[in-house]
Amino acid sequence: MLSFIKRHKGQTYVPTLCDAPNLKPSGSCRMCTIDVALEEGGRTKAMASCHSMVSEGMHLHTHTEDIQRLRKNIIELVLTDHPLDCLTCEVNGNCELQTVAATVGITSVRYPEGANHLDKQKDLSHAYMTSDMSKCINCYRCVRACDEVQGQLVLGIAGRGFDSHIIKGMEQTFADSECVSCGACAQACPTSAISDIFQSKSIANTEKVRTICTYCGVGCNLEVSKVGDAIKSIQAPMDAKVNQGHTCLKGRYAFQFYNHKERLDSPMIRKNGKLEKVSWDEVYDYIANKINGYKKEFGADAIAGISSSRCTNEENYLMQKFIRAVVGTNNIDGCARICHSPTALGMQRTFGTGAATNSVGDIKDTNCILVIGANPTNAHPVTGAKIKQFAMGGGPMIVLDPRRTELAKYAKHHLALRPGTNVAVMNMMFYYIIKEELVDNEFIKNRTEGFEDFKKQILDINMDVMERVSGVKREDVRAAAITYASAKNAMSFHGLGVTEHSQGTFAVMQIADLALITGNIGRKGVGVNPLRGQNNVQGAADMGVQPHQGAGYMDVTNPLVHNQYETFYKAKLSDEIGLKIPEMFDAAIAGKLKCLWIIGEDVAQTDPNTKKVVKAMKNVDLLIVQELFMTETAKLADVILPGASFLEKSGTFTNGERRVQRVNQVVEPYPGTKVDGQILVDIMNRMGYTQPDYTAEGVLAEVAQIVPFFAGITWENLDINGKQWPVSKDGNDTQILHAETFKRGLGYFEFHPFEETKEILDYEEKYPYILTTNRELEHYNCGAMTRRTRNVEILTEDVVMINPKDAKKKGIKEGDMVCMESPRGKVDIKAHITDEVKKGILSTTFHFPEIMVNNITSDVHDSEAMCPEYKVVSVRIRKSKGVFRN
Amino acid sequence: MSKNLSELSGRKGIQDNLFDKMGKLALEEGTISKKELAKLADEFLMGTANTYGAMSFYDFMKPDNKNKKVYVCNGSACKNSGKQAKLTKRLGKYFDKDEIGHMTCLGRCHENKAFHFEGKNYSDVSKKDIKKIIKGKSFDGSDAYNMFAYNHQVLTQKGIKMTAFATVLSKVFKMGSEKVLNEIESSNIRGRGGAGFPMAFKLKSARDTPNDTKFIICNADEGDPGAYSDRYLLEKQPYMVLLGMMAAGYVMGANWGILYIRAEYPDAVVIIQKAIDKLRKEKLIGKNILDSGFNFDLKIIKAQGAYICGEETALINSIEGQRPEVRTRPPYPTQDGLFGKPTVVNNVETLAALFYIMENGGEAYAKIGTKRSSGTKLVSLDSFFNNPGIYEVDMGTPLETVVEKLGGGFKKEVKGLHIGGPLGGIVPIHKIKDLNIDFESFNENGFLLGHASIVCIPTKMKMMTYLQDLMEFAKDESCGKCFPCRLGTQRAYELIEKANDTNYKIDRTLFDDLLHTLKTGSLCAHGGGIPLPVRNALDYFGEETALSFQS
Ligand SMILES: Cc1cc2nc3c(=O)[nH]c(=O)nc-3n(C[C@H](O)[C@H](O)[C@H](O)COP(=O)(O)O)c2cc1C
Ligand code: SF4
Ligand code: SF4
Ligand code: SF4
Ligand code: SF4
Ligand code: FES
Repeated sequence: MLSFIKRHKGQTYVPTLCDAPNLKPSGSCRMCTIDVALEEGGRTKAMASCHSMVSEGMHLHTHTEDIQRLRKNIIELVLTDHPLDCLTCEVNGNCELQTVAATVGITSVRYPEGANHLDKQKDLSHAYMTSDMSKCINCYRCVRACDEVQGQLVLGIAGRGFDSHIIKGMEQTFADSECVSCGACAQACPTSAISDIFQSKSIANTEKVRTICTYCGVGCNLEVSKVGDAIKSIQAPMDAKVNQGHTCLKGRYAFQFYNHKERLDSPMIRKNGKLEKVSWDEVYDYIANKINGYKKEFGADAIAGISSSRCTNEENYLMQKFIRAVVGTNNIDGCARICHSPTALGMQRTFGTGAATNSVGDIKDTNCILVIGANPTNAHPVTGAKIKQFAMGGGPMIVLDPRRTELAKYAKHHLALRPGTNVAVMNMMFYYIIKEELVDNEFIKNRTEGFEDFKKQILDINMDVMERVSGVKREDVRAAAITYASAKNAMSFHGLGVTEHSQGTFAVMQIADLALITGNIGRKGVGVNPLRGQNNVQGAADMGVQPHQGAGYMDVTNPLVHNQYETFYKAKLSDEIGLKIPEMFDAAIAGKLKCLWIIGEDVAQTDPNTKKVVKAMKNVDLLIVQELFMTETAKLADVILPGASFLEKSGTFTNGERRVQRVNQVVEPYPGTKVDGQILVDIMNRMGYTQPDYTAEGVLAEVAQIVPFFAGITWENLDINGKQWPVSKDGNDTQILHAETFKRGLGYFEFHPFEETKEILDYEEKYPYILTTNRELEHYNCGAMTRRTRNVEILTEDVVMINPKDAKKKGIKEGDMVCMESPRGKVDIKAHITDEVKKGILSTTFHFPEIMVNNITSDVHDSEAMCPEYKVVSVRIRKSKGVFRN
Repeated sequence: MSKNLSELSGRKGIQDNLFDKMGKLALEEGTISKKELAKLADEFLMGTANTYGAMSFYDFMKPDNKNKKVYVCNGSACKNSGKQAKLTKRLGKYFDKDEIGHMTCLGRCHENKAFHFEGKNYSDVSKKDIKKIIKGKSFDGSDAYNMFAYNHQVLTQKGIKMTAFATVLSKVFKMGSEKVLNEIESSNIRGRGGAGFPMAFKLKSARDTPNDTKFIICNADEGDPGAYSDRYLLEKQPYMVLLGMMAAGYVMGANWGILYIRAEYPDAVVIIQKAIDKLRKEKLIGKNILDSGFNFDLKIIKAQGAYICGEETALINSIEGQRPEVRTRPPYPTQDGLFGKPTVVNNVETLAALFYIMENGGEAYAKIGTKRSSGTKLVSLDSFFNNPGIYEVDMGTPLETVVEKLGGGFKKEVKGLHIGGPLGGIVPIHKIKDLNIDFESFNENGFLLGHASIVCIPTKMKMMTYLQDLMEFAKDESCGKCFPCRLGTQRAYELIEKANDTNYKIDRTLFDDLLHTLKTGSLCAHGGGIPLPVRNALDYFGEETALSFQS
């Protein structure tokens, strides 16, 4: 009834307090009560419209005298237990209680003073979240937001009747509770009872700019409030298709890095071993001369670039164009190399397109979710929250992960395999799907090839061996296989636990084949959905940031394509595949690579086998680092270019579901810095290539001419919610790929036997533990940005997780420092004892430079895409000397 | 209520039940430690805020009551009798003040001086008795009350034993579920829990909602102070009640029957459990009962002291281990109830009546009573009557007959009868002759039959004092979910208290607005119902109450 009235009469026609657009009705405030008659002039009954259904022929009287009396009296009651200090309240002017009180015309309270909760103390314990429960009106929107949106169940209610009050955990503070600081409760709260340190609901923050989060591939829309050039707070727009009013703490609260005093604020050149500030003119000339020199002396292939998934599509496009058209080499790669390159490659091999087949919104339409090697509640929090809601609400979910992740706890099946054995377990799943006759024969016949061979080889696998190597019982795999294969619609999500392995590409192909064998492709609620790591990792690849394919995934060695690019760029291009990142490092060490230009990527902290990376950096003649902060990599640079953050520029990001969205500049670039796209344009012009100044509209228009699936995209038509590529010329976008045909014609089955990684084969005996790596919610990758926000107060250091049995065996206690040693080196790190990891397995993060975990990771790579195997490292551990003290 | 919590709680099934576990922990410690609550939250993935929040709702779980050793009844029947103060004083000899807690109605309304000690109820005790009880000497704490049927014996038939249960059960199976439903439909039976809702309608709705798992719940939370007819049925007619549950379960396709029994009725819990054990031994519950292909099992869930748990959706939340707050409707429990499954909740007396209907057919039952209120009704009379007790009368029997003929008139001067629990109306003596025991007669006269308990208000007691007690009960037992009741019952109590304690006069318009807000705005009949007795009191005892209001 209420939504019906809102649709026809407007959002605030009937006043409400406990209702919220993204929450289920609660029926608490009763302000929405209306008089309902079944016929014209018939007897009326007062009904709360938020939880009553309209039906044909009803007469809804929304403002009868009786109802208005009721509303006024309810508000009067509310005000008997509410401080009357509106003028000094942070939400004054933007408070729903205040508004509703004015609407119903309440001016004074007639009740004598009675019991109240006005002496409740404020909770200012937390880095971001605040509460002042004297302002609480018991609408329970916060409790429902924490439950229905975030699924964290931190907030609750204690006591009963008049004593009912909001609690965090067991009457704890925000800081002591399990709160993950998503801010959903603060945004939901109609008063200032729950808020944040940024006072995000204050009306002082009048000017608002809508943009896209810079952190992960979910691509949440943000509404940034500012006063002048100062950013005040961030909220999430309700009408955002991607995040419907939700974010995680990174998007909502971790923005204070943007004007952090450690921002790089001038170009620098290393002179006599020291980095010295110089002018833009000087640095441009320096770079142009140097690069021209290398080109002449060693050829264009002595130069390479690593572009950044943190930058806009337009900037990535310009970077690859610069390397290809101005420098003249295909030595361009991006961070996707170390995360999802196997996804792009594997899915291209099976389907023809290396991107998510469906949308996150399809979770609403699916009957089963398979999560493989991903921990989305930490790494992709808003998508993670949606998957968690699915599982909490009883949706069957299968989690394939060595760790007992948050999602694994809620899953129907958790297959806790030994790291590095995805391929083995997936083959077991195929085995049971075939044995149980759950294959979709119709789909296989019409849309795929290679199945008969595949089937034969699957049925030949040795289940005893698979069971032993993976450590997962075959009955468990069978049950999971049946759940997935018998669901009407099943969708899969996978992450770096699939790709960062020696058999990464093969595992991706298996996930794709799993969709094929069960016909889970080409409609809503199905498909293969990689959880792309960085905000624009999808976009960087789309724009041609890879050595073998140019903008739009076209093969640079193909003469026709080559020609097309040369004509379009009006330049001479190379038609040889360039170097991938690991190859760049090898070339550098071999002395063949003279110049490396890195944008927004801290390879020295995040790439595996740090020692080798540092050696490579030191070996190039000219290391150019374009960055926000003096990262570990920047410290090694010969030239520093101070770039701009997402808040300081416009452009587009493409999220993990192929949605191209508008990033709008909120504030001017930090003094002394420039928009990265403009830096590239400047240098292109300086080197004699004419390229107009950087504007989002301009570059996007250029991109649309060369990237086929951007053909119909314009800055204008992206509007607030963007478009999912491919976008045809008429502007229609695509939610679901492969509905009728695959890009490669037929879906492709290919069997791959499990092969033990070289790391284990070589080192298992001397280094019996397997270390795997993971992410924490609070920090983003190397932490260059999140460590410069108050997120550090919430999570302060890297730790290694150890199973209680192993800890006992090694005499390690919670908080002890342990030494982890691999064939590459050793690190000391604090121990966290938990049964989230199985015996023999360790897991750690790498957000903090204090502990360079990548000192010990290996440089084993995926055989196909050269993605490094972060997820399997052979180590041994021991307690280090002395107990670690904070 | 949270759909997620329902689902998470339901994952473990009814046998591994969160609320049951909480109850057991609380029994040992008087409350549940944070450590245990955290463990439960972890086990059920439901969050500590929920386990803690639920715990804090119940009288017999919350930390405030951890040290209570003895509980004195503060139900209206006992309070009105004026005997509780003396009892408390006598108990004060053995216990510190803060060791004496309250329970609201132990079902000993016919005797009063009721209290609860170490899991047992006692009433009408002398000084000597108290000493014996507290010192742990052997003492028979059982009570006796009048009990008989005025005309038809439907619920008070003698000696329903397991053999009779088995006979009727095989008859039920022979009829088949459709025929059983038809009989219930033709009996016209309406719910005895207060709302008078047709039973067949709910069963049909649940029957037509497909699901592998469904529940029939017996609402044995008889929370109305002054009511003890359900207690009678549970203790004296366990097989009758259980058969009713099974027949209802059979109709709707439920494989689980749950009895939600209030902790204030310890004997009922023991007796029902014994009956269940016996049925299990005789294979009259379990798998493929009597080769019918029907599987059915029974489980008792012991309540923990909260009146609102008698409201069916709060009851469902309670079993799930959520805070027992009232749910919004729709969805109705018959479609989306316990753990999100189709669920029918019926009162003890409603279910017990099925025994007769199964035995004699729906028509036979429909013939008893009036056209719209068929069958018989149990009425509980408190100790102000000369013959207190439980009486079974045909629907439509004049109230006067009950008061005079069965109750034998009053021992002391009485000015009004509070009939149908705290949310029922207050009937002034002169209106007795206008009322018959049936739903319509009470409605038409501006009262409520409810569960048909009769609590006398002595002439000596000030009406405003009675209203203060009533409003204290209302505010203490409000679940707190909806604004009008959470705030309104508190403010109403404060206004009355202030008028009673000082020379403060209540603003009539304000009070009228408040009652209107409660009645029109409340989510459930707790807040929505409480204005009725208040208005009755103001209307019929206006002369007396007017003194507390501004003129
Ligand atoms: C505040 C409140 C308390 C209630 N208490 C009880 C109770 O103690 N026992 C009961 O059977 N029904 C009680 N009810 C009624 C139940 O909600 C429900 O209507 C009843 O159990 C349905 O059974 P019936 O159809 O057999 O009457 C209560 C309702 C409210 C609003
Ligand atoms: S910030 Fe998020 S997790 Fe924390 S209490 Fe609020 S809704 Fe729950
Ligand atoms: S804290 Fe805010 S959202 Fe939560 S109940 Fe109170 S007023 Fe409502
Ligand atoms: S989920 Fe990802 S995109 Fe959304 S706010 Fe968090 S980090 Fe940003
Ligand atoms: S009327 Fe009272 S008891 Fe009923 S839902 Fe509202 S607060 Fe709870
Ligand atoms: S036993 Fe005390 S009121 Fe019923």
